[in-house]
Amino acid sequence: MIELYAITDNPGPPLPDLAPLGALSVDGLAAVYGPASSGEVTPEALWRHEEVVEALMEDRDLLPVRYGTCLEDEATAVRAVAERRADLAVALDQVRGAIELAVRVLLADERPAAAGPELSGAQYLCAKARSASERESAIRTLHEPLSILARASRQASPRAPSEPLRAAYLVDRPAVPAFTALVSRLQDANPRLRLLCTGPWPPYSFTES
Amino acid sequence: MTGKVLHGPRDLDPFAGDLPRLDDALSRRIGADPENVQRGLAQLVLTIVELLRQLMERQALRRIDGDTLSEEQVERLGQTFMELDKRMAELREEFGLDEEDLNLNLGPLGNLL
Repeated sequence: MIELYAITDNPGPPLPDLAPLGALSVDGLAAVYGPASSGEVTPEALWRHEEVVEALMEDRDLLPVRYGTCLEDEATAVRAVAERRADLAVALDQVRGAIELAVRVLLADERPAAAGPELSGAQYLCAKARSASERESAIRTLHEPLSILARASRQASPRAPSEPLRAAYLVDRPAVPAFTALVSRLQDANPRLRLLCTGPWPPYSFTES
Repeated sequence: MTGKVLHGPRDLDPFAGDLPRLDDALSRRIGADPENVQRGLAQLVLTIVELLRQLMERQALRRIDGDTLSEEQVERLGQTFMELDKRMAELREEFGLDEEDLNLNLGPLGNLL
């Protein structure tokens, strides 16, 4: 069994040597693979996978392959990639020269979740309305300016009322410093919010097709 | 991990709230036994119920904004939605689902909720 890590251009720079990796050539694309890690899925295994993809990302464009994509052998992998070659080539073009940055925003004055049972119906709706308007304003004041510096962006549904924004941005590599500088300016301009920007990540949010 | 922070507050704790979720997610995502299939169906049904609940809630908020409801009506609506919210949480719990599981990825259209 082999495990796929990423789809890249072929030929590409030499493969990093932090794992036994190989590249299968498929008509201008390469599928980077290694021996399938046997046994249980653990957070450590996930991080190892992530580490390989990130090492590859340093000096090449890639489509990260979903963790746990294992195939019988090299020939099966070549066939699987060849079948979707056109789609993969388009997807790779879309992320060429860019990486993913993640932005999360929390309300700084996070109150302990208003005690549930004693909440009146009107208070409940009022809290809902407030978090909806926090979301709208975060989109206007943060997401829209950040999107201008990005090639593409995706918003994820926020997980809590105290999290008005959670989004991923596909940013050209040379534009990363400008993007983080903007995050820092937006933080200064919005002391009520806490902004967290992480990356660079493989373009996980921009490779679905 | 901190090497990945390009900009952030000195105190990252508030953002770490959902880190333990990784372990949970891993232990739940594996294996397609009959129980999981049942869970998949529950997930789909609850997603649709959640979509309707959110749509109705938004509609209610719009009507309150429009000032067309009496105080008593607002209170009753609020109670109803709060109750629904609680029931949904119970059902999610029963099927071992997260809030985030109640969503559908619609590809280029983004997420349903």
